[in-house]
Order: sequence, then C-alpha cells, then structure tokens
Amino acid sequence: MQQSKALAFALVAPALLFLGATLGWPLVQAIQLSLQDVRVIGSPGSFVGLDNYARILSGPAFWNATGLSIVWVVANAIVQTILALVAAIILNEKFPGVRIARSWIILTWIVPTVVVVVIWRWLFSTSGGMINPLLIQMGILERPVGFFATPWTAMATLVFINSWRWFPFIALMMLAGLTRIPDDLYEAARLDGANAWMRFCRITWPLLAPTLGVLAVIGTLLSFNVFDIIWLLTSGGPAGGSRTLPVLIYETAFKGYRLSEAATISVMTTIFLMAFAVIATRALDRTDR
Amino acid sequence: MRRSLSLNALLGASLAFFTALIGLPFWWVVSGSIKLPQEIISRLPTMFPQSFTPQHYQKLFQASDYPVYLINSLIVATSTTLVTLVLAIPAAYAFFRLTFPARGVLYRSILLAYAFPSIVVLIPLFGLFAKVGLVDRLPSLIIVNVAFALPFSIWMLRSFLAGVPKEIEEAAVIDGASTLKILRRIMIPLIAPGIAAVGIYAFVTAWTEYVFASVLILSDAKRTLPVGFSGIIGQYQIDWGLLLAGATVAIVPVVALFALIGRGFVSGLTEGAVK
Repeated sequence: MQQSKALAFALVAPALLFLGATLGWPLVQAIQLSLQDVRVIGSPGSFVGLDNYARILSGPAFWNATGLSIVWVVANAIVQTILALVAAIILNEKFPGVRIARSWIILTWIVPTVVVVVIWRWLFSTSGGMINPLLIQMGILERPVGFFATPWTAMATLVFINSWRWFPFIALMMLAGLTRIPDDLYEAARLDGANAWMRFCRITWPLLAPTLGVLAVIGTLLSFNVFDIIWLLTSGGPAGGSRTLPVLIYETAFKGYRLSEAATISVMTTIFLMAFAVIATRALDRTDR
Repeated sequence: MRRSLSLNALLGASLAFFTALIGLPFWWVVSGSIKLPQEIISRLPTMFPQSFTPQHYQKLFQASDYPVYLINSLIVATSTTLVTLVLAIPAAYAFFRLTFPARGVLYRSILLAYAFPSIVVLIPLFGLFAKVGLVDRLPSLIIVNVAFALPFSIWMLRSFLAGVPKEIEEAAVIDGASTLKILRRIMIPLIAPGIAAVGIYAFVTAWTEYVFASVLILSDAKRTLPVGFSGIIGQYQIDWGLLLAGATVAIVPVVALFALIGRGFVSGLTEGAVK
C-alpha cells in the first residue's frame, strides 16, 4: 500500500508541479506585484500596500470594464444557449449525415481565432463583405453599415462573432445531456397525446436543466476570459465600448505600462471569478440532491 | 421515433440554417482566396468564383513571412501536444484509479485551473521567463500552452478511463501485472480514442493561442501564426486576397488533423464535460 501511494504521487507529481510553476506561482507573484508600484516589466518597485486597490476601485475605468464584462457574459450566454440548444436538439434527431454533422459542427471552434477574425472582418466590411448586401437585399438595411463604428453595434457584432465560435462547443456538451434522456419517455408522452412543444417543456427542459446549469458556469468562465477576438477586431473600442476586463488588464500592462495596476485588476478579477465558480458549483450541487 | 411532416420540415429548415451559418463563412473565405482582387471587393459579392488566380497564395508564400509563422506554429502545437499527453496520461490514471492523500482537493484545484483567467499569469510569467532567458523563444510558448491544455486534458482522459470495463483491469491484477504495466499495456491502448481527443484539444489550444504569443515573442522570425498573421492584417493596407489565402492555409492543419483522428474528439469533449 505504501508503495502504491508513492507510485500515485510519482504519476501525479509532474503534472502538478508543472501547473504549480506555470499557474500557481505566477498567481502568487501577481498578488505581490499588486502591492507594489512597478510600471515597466523588470523595473524594481516599492511596497505600497493596498494603494493600487484603493485607486482602482475609486476610478471609473475598472467599473466601466466590469459593467461591459457583465454585459458581454450575459449577452453571450443568451445567444449561445439559444443557438446551442436548437443545434443540440437537431443533432439528437436521426437524419442522414447526422454523424458528420455531429463532428464537423465544431469547425468554428478548431480554427484559430485570428482566422475567425479575418472571416468576419471581411464579411462585415463595407468593401466586398457579404453581410451588408445581404441585409440590404432582405430589406433590413437601406445602405451599408459600419458594424464596428459605434459602441453598441460593435459590442453586438462581437457577441455574435464570439457566439458563432463557441456555440457548437456548448451544443455538443448539451447533446451529451440530451442523449442521456431515455427515448421511452418521449414515446410514452406521444402515446398520451403530448405534442412536440409539450414534450420539450415537460421532458427535455427539466431533464436537461442540470447539464444547462453546469454549462452556464463553464460558459460564463469561458466567455469572460475571451480577449483575442475583441482585441483583434476592435482593440476595446470604439470609445472604450468593448473594453472588457481582460482588455483593460492587457491595455494597462502593455500599452499603459502600469504593471502593478494591471496586476491589481487581474487579482480582483480572479477573486471575483473564483468566488463565482465556487458559489455556482455549490448551488448546482444543492439542486442536484 | 417517427416524426410528423411539419416537424420534419422544421428540422430541415433548421438544419439548412445551421449549415449555412457555419458553412457559408468558410465557403466564402476559401472560395474568395482564389478570386481576383476586383471580384473580392466587388459591390455585388459572388457565391461562386467567376475568376481564378493563384496570386494570393504566391504572395503569401513568397513575399510574406507567413511560411515562417506556419512552421513555428507547427513546432509549438506539436510539442505542446506531446508534452501535454506525457503529463496528462499518468496524472489522469492516478486520479482515476489510485488513492492517495488530498486526492480530492488536488483534483478540484486542477479543475479550478481550467477556469483560471489566463491573462492574470501573463505579467508574472513574462518576468519569470525573462529571468531564465526564455523570452522570445518558442519553448516559452510550449510551456504556457501545456499549462492551459493540461487541466481539461486530465479531466477528459479521466472520463475515458472510467469507460473501460472494470473486469479487464481486475483480470490483469489477478495475473499479477503491476500498476505501471496495466497502464502501459492495457489502459493506454484501450483509451486510444481519448488520447487522440486530448491530442487534438492540446493541438488546437496551441494552434489558436494569441495573447501569450504576442507578448512573449519579440522577434518576427519566432512569431506563431496567429500573431504573425494578425501583423499581416495591419501591415498591408487590407489586402483581402492575401488575408483570405492566409486564413485558408491556417485552417488546413487543424481540419486535416480533425479528419484523421477527430472521431473520438466530439465524444471526448462531451463526456468529459458532463460527468
């Protein structure tokens, strides 16, 4: 038994040490950095206590970014859940080609973000992009629109693009939940005369709810951390209209050269996210029982 | 289960919608990459190319640094995949089968790392890498990408291990096989689809990573595809043909990998998430 314990540690240790060195230790250092006044990487700083925290909490930048991050997460959650749920329900049906559809739906997620960015920048552009002519033809628009020109449309367009990238991933996780619902339930409901909508409300939705709960937590964390799509498409603009917390952290550190402030924001963000993850998982555990 | 006619119509319509939503953007990009510049930016976009030219690809491979980025990305992604597997397989097996102190706590903290806002460690990691001379070198990216791919990989592999019938392992124990031998000779071959799935996950993670590659790499010759390519976006005053060709080439490796060993990926992704 003693030997097997040693073996277990030998198997786990490399991965744990690796994660400790690359994620754990830097996190400790980020906390240290947030208590100093370092501006450029490598330059020395002196201990300033909680000054950075006080300054950031009293300024508008952090709160604006927090607000935008909440809008970002909620909007993404709504769009992705709707798209993913419909996609998952379709993929749970039997039709010719369903196996191919089940694996290749993930295409939007396996290509690099920068490709996603190029695709949509082109499609949304006013020179040769397909979206403007399409919307004009459908009578929705009268003349071409610069989708990234105003804060509100930029945010909406970013949410759409990010959802496009992520909804298949969420859909496949939902599909796993759907396949676990026994067919007999639907058959019985049909015999009792329940129509498709009633079957969805009475069987699919309640039985899928736990899966949706888990996905809500995972999805929130995943979309919260999205940086590259926003940065590459709008750089947080226009007029700061898409400057979410990750963008603010990156800007503060690498454009504004205020490392300690960036570390402070990132430490607060981490505490906030971890608290959310712990509380949300607890809540899910409780409803499970 | 049989469906009514109206439900079938609804299913067909939704299926068409999603096929268009996912497929059309890719079709436009890939087909656009062989169109002449004037067709690409024409006021009335064409569904099928009316012109053909290899000029964007020629420019991409001869006049830009794109081939360098492509090779760097292939090196980083392949190494990330290998290192992730070497670390994840033993760890997943130990978490799944062996008992040791603090197992639960350690496993949960690994899952927490999956939810970790990666940008938090960017600043301290840069300092750390600067100290050991890893800044502006590809190994720094490999290390970072493994760190991001590892938590989810362990999670996913564990669920694949759980799918192996217990009797197989028990029979091996009775035959006197050691734990390591069971892992090497029995479990690894049995969860090969899971290993392929994790491999794809790690490869994709590294292939798409942008933030760290943009900060940790300073010289153009070491850039990976996402960063180098995004540089091309700004560098030439929006040459769409070049960008579409570059996007097409960047899609190819992951799609090829996925076509070859992607079958277990979808089930691995989904099983790991819900269990």
